[in-house]
Amino acid sequence: MASPTLHDSRGGPDKLHGEPSSQEDEDSDSEDRTGDSGSCTSASSNDDDLEPEWLDSVQRNGELFYLELSEGEEESLLPETPTVNHVRFSENEIIIEEDDYKERKKHEPKLKRFTRILKSKKLLPKRYHKKSSNNDGPVSILKHQLNPKIGVTVHQRYKDVTVYVNPKNLTVTKAREQLKLLEVLVGIIHQTKWSWRRSGKQSDGERLVVHGLLPGGSAMKSGQVLIGDVLVAVNDVDVTSENIERVLSCIPGPMQVKLTFENAYAMKKETAQPKKKKKQSNANDLVKLLCGEAAEDIQQSVLVTPHIIMYLNLQLDSDSSKEEEILYHYPMSEASQKLKSVRGIFLTLCDMLENVTGTQVTSSSLLLKGKQIHVAYWKESDKLLLIGLPAEEVPLPQLRNMIEDVAQTLKFMYGSLDSAFCQVENVPRLDHFFSLFFQRALHPARQHLSASPSAQQYSAASSVLLDSLPGARWLTLPQEIKVELDTMLSDLEAADFAELSEDYYNIRRLYTILGSSLFYKGYLICSHLPKDDLIEIAVYCRHYCLLPLAAKQRIGQLIIWREVFPRHHLHPSTESDTDAFQEPEGRYFLLIVGLRHYVLCVLLEAGGCTSKATGNPGPDCVYVDQFRATLHRLEAVQSRIDERLASSTGPWLSCADWFLAGPRDKTDGLTTSPIISRLHGTSKAKTPPTCRRAIFSDYSFKTRKPSPSRGSGESEPGCEGEGIGLSPHTTPDAIPRQRESSGSEDSGTWLKASKKKSTLPNPFHLGNLKKELSEKELEIYNTMKLTSGPENTLFHYVALETVQGIFITPTHEEVAQLGGSVHSQLIKNFHQCCLSIRAFFQQTLVEEKKKALPGRDHADSSTPASSLSAVKEHGVLFECSPENWTDPKKSPPVLTYWVVGRLFLHPKPQELYVCFHDSVTEIAIEMAFKLFFGLTL
Amino acid sequence: MGEEGSGDTVHLLCLAASSGIPLFCRSSRGGAPTRQQLPFSVIGSLNGVHMFGQNLDVQLNSARTEDTTVVWKSFHDSITLIALSSEKGTSELRLERMLHMVFGAMVLIVGLEELTNIRNVERLKKELRASYRLIDSFLGDSELIGDLTQCVDCVIPPEGSLLQETLSGFAEATGTAFVSLLVSGRVVAATEGWWRLGMPEAVLLPWLVGSLPPQAARDYPVYLPHGSPTVPHRLLTLTLLPSLELCLLCGPRPSLSQLNPQLLERWWLPLLDPLRGCLALGPRALPDGFPLHADILGLLLLHLELKRCVFTVEPLRDKEPSPEQRRRLLRNFYTLVATTHFPSGPTEKTEDGVRPAQMPRACYLVLGPGTGWQLVALQLGLRLLLLLLSPQSPTHGLRSLATHTLHSLTPLL
Repeated sequence: MASPTLHDSRGGPDKLHGEPSSQEDEDSDSEDRTGDSGSCTSASSNDDDLEPEWLDSVQRNGELFYLELSEGEEESLLPETPTVNHVRFSENEIIIEEDDYKERKKHEPKLKRFTRILKSKKLLPKRYHKKSSNNDGPVSILKHQLNPKIGVTVHQRYKDVTVYVNPKNLTVTKAREQLKLLEVLVGIIHQTKWSWRRSGKQSDGERLVVHGLLPGGSAMKSGQVLIGDVLVAVNDVDVTSENIERVLSCIPGPMQVKLTFENAYAMKKETAQPKKKKKQSNANDLVKLLCGEAAEDIQQSVLVTPHIIMYLNLQLDSDSSKEEEILYHYPMSEASQKLKSVRGIFLTLCDMLENVTGTQVTSSSLLLKGKQIHVAYWKESDKLLLIGLPAEEVPLPQLRNMIEDVAQTLKFMYGSLDSAFCQVENVPRLDHFFSLFFQRALHPARQHLSASPSAQQYSAASSVLLDSLPGARWLTLPQEIKVELDTMLSDLEAADFAELSEDYYNIRRLYTILGSSLFYKGYLICSHLPKDDLIEIAVYCRHYCLLPLAAKQRIGQLIIWREVFPRHHLHPSTESDTDAFQEPEGRYFLLIVGLRHYVLCVLLEAGGCTSKATGNPGPDCVYVDQFRATLHRLEAVQSRIDERLASSTGPWLSCADWFLAGPRDKTDGLTTSPIISRLHGTSKAKTPPTCRRAIFSDYSFKTRKPSPSRGSGESEPGCEGEGIGLSPHTTPDAIPRQRESSGSEDSGTWLKASKKKSTLPNPFHLGNLKKELSEKELEIYNTMKLTSGPENTLFHYVALETVQGIFITPTHEEVAQLGGSVHSQLIKNFHQCCLSIRAFFQQTLVEEKKKALPGRDHADSSTPASSLSAVKEHGVLFECSPENWTDPKKSPPVLTYWVVGRLFLHPKPQELYVCFHDSVTEIAIEMAFKLFFGLTL
Repeated sequence: MGEEGSGDTVHLLCLAASSGIPLFCRSSRGGAPTRQQLPFSVIGSLNGVHMFGQNLDVQLNSARTEDTTVVWKSFHDSITLIALSSEKGTSELRLERMLHMVFGAMVLIVGLEELTNIRNVERLKKELRASYRLIDSFLGDSELIGDLTQCVDCVIPPEGSLLQETLSGFAEATGTAFVSLLVSGRVVAATEGWWRLGMPEAVLLPWLVGSLPPQAARDYPVYLPHGSPTVPHRLLTLTLLPSLELCLLCGPRPSLSQLNPQLLERWWLPLLDPLRGCLALGPRALPDGFPLHADILGLLLLHLELKRCVFTVEPLRDKEPSPEQRRRLLRNFYTLVATTHFPSGPTEKTEDGVRPAQMPRACYLVLGPGTGWQLVALQLGLRLLLLLLSPQSPTHGLRSLATHTLHSLTPLL
């Protein structure tokens, strides 16, 4: 049994739903058939079942979103997971499901056919049973979600549930360290500590929120208690967390007890997650839970912020009923209702401004209850997509990128916006999509999970910029690992394995593999996909938070299968001549298989040279298993990639905190070298980065940080020597070296800290350190220093390569190693600044595109460049000081740094954003050359 | 309308908020006033969406299409101003400030009372005609930048102290506290009282004088939008030399006849040469021979507390780009700097001891491809300097160049 937290135990739901539990198919007769919602199956209980556990999660349209956390994750989660859910299943859909069930069976044989063949030949690899089946039943949340009976439209505020309670059972149950009657008697898990943490609002005794249900407990058996409900009374006695134990202990013997619950979902039904993706939403809840926050709270706090997505029809029928023009909108909260009610503004603006100006409306701003809201428009044929978000959370340039992303992703997933929004069965999926979207927009930090808070901070800060970059985050790897990965992916893409070869079964191959890309811990490490496909897949993964998920070890098994509509294949550029390759009129499928830290995304094509896809095919086991096998093989490389991550080859970074001049240094500006005084500070105190880093940076790195030597014994002699070289007597040397030309008032002296360092850095001069180097370490020695001075002054960078659709930026590990409170502020500011810089570049690119178009140039030539729409470089100088400077007498130390963005149009568009200390005059082109050199997929 | 509206057109609509009756519509195209106007249906729906939102407690502020920006602003719940601009590089900030200036100009001419309490729309329309010239100057290209920066355009006279002394003496002699010397809309020298004028009128008065047709002397009733929006004052102007005017802001006294030629001659004749020197200062702003770096093509210096600015695009006149382009570049750059990087000036620092952790100090922009002009902004203390530089200036030296220039300019403003 792989994932007790996520898997449904069989039986119960089926009967409740009245679904046929017997089937002709001998393989699956005993499985639960929950159709769409049934992404839960218990593989362990029928051991002879060779069907993959995800098979039953396949939806009737063939889609699959199956996620299983790895063993380690589950264990760590178990104590808290029961609190997870706000998953809801509306009754209508369950009914629909039953109808669809038959339909689904139609395409099933195809899928099973292979399985059966394989089974007979013992080819199907056995699944991993990570846990021995524990028979006392998995902690099933989902089951209870399934239970609300058809017709009970949940939404009255209070409900009474009668349960059978037998205190005598107490003796039977295992002794716990702390007797919790609520848990033991009723089967309701309420975690006091947990809720105490999140809400301090209840003064006396907190509300008894149902955080989980005990398997086999009476509450669970009743099937009416939902997680998130609040227990308000027992037999009409009001209860809180304070008195519950007392009240329950008064129950003399076996009896029926009436529990009154406040229905948590009555008020915010609209926030409920759709059921179809529940595996995934579960996982996200887990993600949020791990952050120490309750899903409900998140929903709640999101709800008070006005935000909306609407899809409106611009063609109005005069006789249509009320609100006919709204094809879709989300969410239903009160704050958003206001935005919905003024949709007339948006419709009018869209129509009128287009008539007046001849161009489409892109955005508008309005003031709602003192809050500025930006609304972005996306018009397609006669429909209008609108996204409104508060300005303080999402600046306008970001919002524009976001709406474009949304439109692109929806088209990728559904073919067109119309087919996405106009089909009723898509609504819950879209609800889910946009609930994720808004949480990402409004609470970026919650989506990012990292081991350390600093890394998490980094993720949150950088998502402002990185989420809108057209590309995937790339991790450069040493050549031989790359070759290895490439070979492995190529092997896979060749689809030459026995089971897939056409001769083997004498049937036509189902799919051609168009390309694959491999992510490790959220970094793209290998890709054989065309740029457009890669970007679309990366954006899809971003929307579903797959990459942050993989960043931690949390994926036991992830399988996503869906039909996709890659623009690049379906709408090839019109200019292509007839000789060019014609895309076959096929269908495309995306298969994402995740294992541990790896996520493998594969784009498959049906039609063309393979058999045509009919109906809604589900994922094929053979492909899934092959991909998984590849991922298993990749585990061999994992350690080496990890190593790479830990000691990245990217340019060396410095921590801003090291550069903060003390107050003394500030007052007499040029006389002392702040960095040196700083050094003595660091050498004693802070956690030094690993010594290896220190050694392998060029020696200027060491001048700044002799401290690491003290930390680790291995290289102590060498580092120590350098450290001594840094003793204060070098400081005077610095003064005459002050470059006159710089003309800056700030002390820029530290970089020429000592005479010794003024020679050109020689990367091959290792001195007495050399003997300590192992071979492996030598290998990563070729790290570069991006800045030009003898000191390393680079704080952060982002480089975007648009031809290949990738960008590079320091890894979480690197940033975590630097630490520093000022540094994290700096990084945040850097990303925000880059966002506004990038808005200029985007404008420039648009202008360039316009110029390239024939026929439009006459308009441009008449108006000479007097606007700032063609910007190639933009830099901003910032000054910062520590946040809480307590000494009132002295002014706080000041650090000045540049954030520079540079756009390269030729030969291919590239964007570079760097952040460096003010002391060195940097030339962005040089930095870009160093950074982009050798950056190829 | 769609195809011809694609140029750089600016439309300004003024409507009575309660009735929706258009009070006036002004348009400019390519920097010059034009008669081309929006059709009434468009005006109606532009006003309609704004009104509709207001009824639902949602205030529509702005909207953008790919090349056009629309800004709504309603004043005192009685006047709605709508600006629609398809100028390249236009921004909301520029339009918002323009609307403020326009409303200020309306108050200046007809007074706040008339505008908030509209009894006779037709009469108001007629009265507002007097403000068209001033309002049109905000729509089109102007040599001044005060409308955008909300700082008074100044020039630095070579013999400033002499002029200043004379001006103070003259003010005393005439019994007026508010006196200034203007050259083509820019302030050469002014009394303490004049500098203390509140914000819209400090910019509006020189602007008004600059926009009026040349006359030897005027006696013009003005309301002060900030200082006295309901009680009119008298603005007296006396032309000392062509385009060099002496302005007095006063109550009932002194009458224009009191300022007889003898009085003027007594005070100003001795200064004829310095005054003549001021004439050329108009567009150049800085005294002749002021050492500026050879790469500087345009300059804008703002004093954020005194609310004064010096703006010139004169250096190296003969070189590309043309003065109009330079002005636009600097205007656009100012907008960028003011919106993204230095949004609120120095005020936040003085308010409370807490300094924001990350303070922008300088920024630069390299334009390209093809042009390579560079723009740099630097804030030091209360001064903000913006420079337009030629392409040959090295990018990494921009900051030091700006610092040097700012230091040399500091004593002047």
